[in-house]
Amino acid sequence: MAVFLRAFFVIGILSVSMVSWSADVAKLRYNTSVYADVKGVGFNHPEGVACSDKSVLVVGDTGNDRLLRYALQEETLKAETEIKIPQLTNPIRVQMNSKGDIFALDGKQRRIVRLAPEGAFKGYLAPEGQSPSTFVPRSFKIDKDDNIYILDVFSGRVLVLNPEGKFQKQINFPKEYGFFSDLAIDPKGNILLIDSIKARVFLAAKGSSTFSPLGATLKEYLSFPTSITTDNRGIIYITDENGAAIGILAQDGSFLGKQLSMGWNEGLLYYPSQTCMNEKGEVFIADRGNSRIQVFTLIK
Amino acid sequence: MNGKYMKVITKVVVLFVMICAPVFSVAQTQNKFKLKTGAAGTLCLNCHDNFKSVLKKQFVHTPVKAGQCTGCHDAHTSSHGKLLAEEPNKICSKCHATVIPKNARSIHGVVLEGNCVKCHDPHGADNKFNLISAGNALCFGCHKDMGASLAKAKFKHSPVEKGCMNCHDPHASAKSDHLLKADLIPLCLNCHKSNSPNFAKAHRNYPVATARCTSCHNPHGSNTAGIFFDNVHAPVAKGTCNQCHDAPTAAAPFRTKKTGFELCKGCHNTMMNETFGKNRIHWPLVDKAGCSNCHEPHASARKNLLMGDGKAVCGKCHSDTMAIQVRLAEKEKQEKAAAGKGEVIKGGLTHAPVQEGNCEVCHSPHSADRSLLLKGPNTVELCGTCHDWLKHTSHPMGEKTLDLRNKNLKLDCLSCHRSHGTGYRYMIPFPTEPDLCIQCHKQYRR
Repeated sequence: MAVFLRAFFVIGILSVSMVSWSADVAKLRYNTSVYADVKGVGFNHPEGVACSDKSVLVVGDTGNDRLLRYALQEETLKAETEIKIPQLTNPIRVQMNSKGDIFALDGKQRRIVRLAPEGAFKGYLAPEGQSPSTFVPRSFKIDKDDNIYILDVFSGRVLVLNPEGKFQKQINFPKEYGFFSDLAIDPKGNILLIDSIKARVFLAAKGSSTFSPLGATLKEYLSFPTSITTDNRGIIYITDENGAAIGILAQDGSFLGKQLSMGWNEGLLYYPSQTCMNEKGEVFIADRGNSRIQVFTLIK
Repeated sequence: MNGKYMKVITKVVVLFVMICAPVFSVAQTQNKFKLKTGAAGTLCLNCHDNFKSVLKKQFVHTPVKAGQCTGCHDAHTSSHGKLLAEEPNKICSKCHATVIPKNARSIHGVVLEGNCVKCHDPHGADNKFNLISAGNALCFGCHKDMGASLAKAKFKHSPVEKGCMNCHDPHASAKSDHLLKADLIPLCLNCHKSNSPNFAKAHRNYPVATARCTSCHNPHGSNTAGIFFDNVHAPVAKGTCNQCHDAPTAAAPFRTKKTGFELCKGCHNTMMNETFGKNRIHWPLVDKAGCSNCHEPHASARKNLLMGDGKAVCGKCHSDTMAIQVRLAEKEKQEKAAAGKGEVIKGGLTHAPVQEGNCEVCHSPHSADRSLLLKGPNTVELCGTCHDWLKHTSHPMGEKTLDLRNKNLKLDCLSCHRSHGTGYRYMIPFPTEPDLCIQCHKQYRR
């Protein structure tokens, strides 16, 4: 009896600490929201957001066909420049490389535009030498070495380009999947895909040429996940568009918890879109339905 | 008597004792309770007089025929209706355990539920297998739509007319989906010989013996010759399969000439240009499968060659939205049942177009200029197409009315309602109306 009680006690302590570890691994604390450009013109359903460790933030103000550049100073976002060029409409995903170049996916034309840090048009990303030649980018990401990863939904693959935009290789989508809406590159260089329909993460380990499921389906926890990112520990953050929340997964794909919920007031989300996280643990969410960008701090 | 005979006699005696012992024991037990002759069943007919006519039917359930009412009923008490010896949905499987094969690929819903009496009379019937009706009439009792459409169909598939059981197994199938007796293609080829010249000619020499027949043909019957589904894609109707596919003599004759939307764009150019001219596209349209994510490429029972009704087509990907609808419909039903007689419950929990799968009432399925592929220039206009009272009486809304919670938002219907339902009446996102109103009218917050 004594042995049984001891075992029960130990299991109890272990379970409690596991639960609290899951809950404590990552929490989002609301900081601020940004609603407008330097002239006070409000956002219109922004879907894209890119952040850098140099405290630069670029917003894809989708409904206004423009990009907006901000500087983050002591938890305050200072509006800098508006980038509105004829070559870019409906920016739905935004990224920056280490040189500060801005890349934006035009949701209407379905092509990726490359811009200088100040916003000058540098051209379209057109990977040469890849077959088949047709590609439709749904999303893209840039890793710490400035390699570009394009989620090509038309040909069912991830295209890997070097920093100059030259085709390096492709990794085909797995055989069974629903629809991939986004991808992420974790600190180890693994590629992660988020399947919105099956609510499942797929992983291609660095150097691997195939994707396999990472963990079980997240249907129980997430409604329609459309964006994925990781922090510097490899913890995975998934934006649940219909569920208006951020799902958090361990590196092995196990579900750790959910943060935030649906609403209109600050700190709440309404059809969120792209999420970006920088080295400092600042989290920027394109809160599309609320026409704003919300800034949170990751409390580890 | 020698030892050899002695051994044989001993064996016979032992065997006799083994066989008869249980019988004697039962007899002893019966005797113990002093049961009358026929207590297991025939005695029941003394009171249950009406069952005498059942016994005269052409097909009588074996235990009934054997006078073993206690095979299914308890003579004294039971926890189940009709003094059944087991739960009604489990009792049949006590004897008929093998109705569902272990490796079943499809199981008839009623069989899965154990609702055997939907088709069988447990006592006796005038039809073989104690079926309550004969032939297809039994199936069409539940599958009413199928019965109705077949009755109207100009071209009927003869095996269906002769009986659904020609192709389907009534209980379960270990061989195929849809309770089919064999996989679809071998099943069809049982009758339709693919090596006949007529077959080859009708299929423009494409090797369709390896293709899914129901991609074009309605296996039950239709109003189109060749029992094609009623809506046929023009190139199929014209027999110009090579408009989309490689030649029948090619190494891969079914390979399409282009992939995804690029194939369809060749003919549907105007529609495609219009689609791609909008700000936001429905992404599956530009993926690997393209248009065939939602449309049948050859023929369909539905308009616009859609793969199914809205619930099926949209629900294929948006299962989260459809799951909410099922939950809300159930809640609606329960709340109505719990309401007092004559009590009117105001405000719907569900939105009719979503419940009915008419997603296209609000969303544009290919592309739109607004997010969520919403139709119309704005939400007020969109909702106003059905809810016209909005135009004359409502909370102030529109471009000039700011949402006090967020300076970038203007008030519209979706500021207070969620069109797919929330679980609260009037589809508001808060339990009560005051909870909603004080979001903006903070001065009234208690």
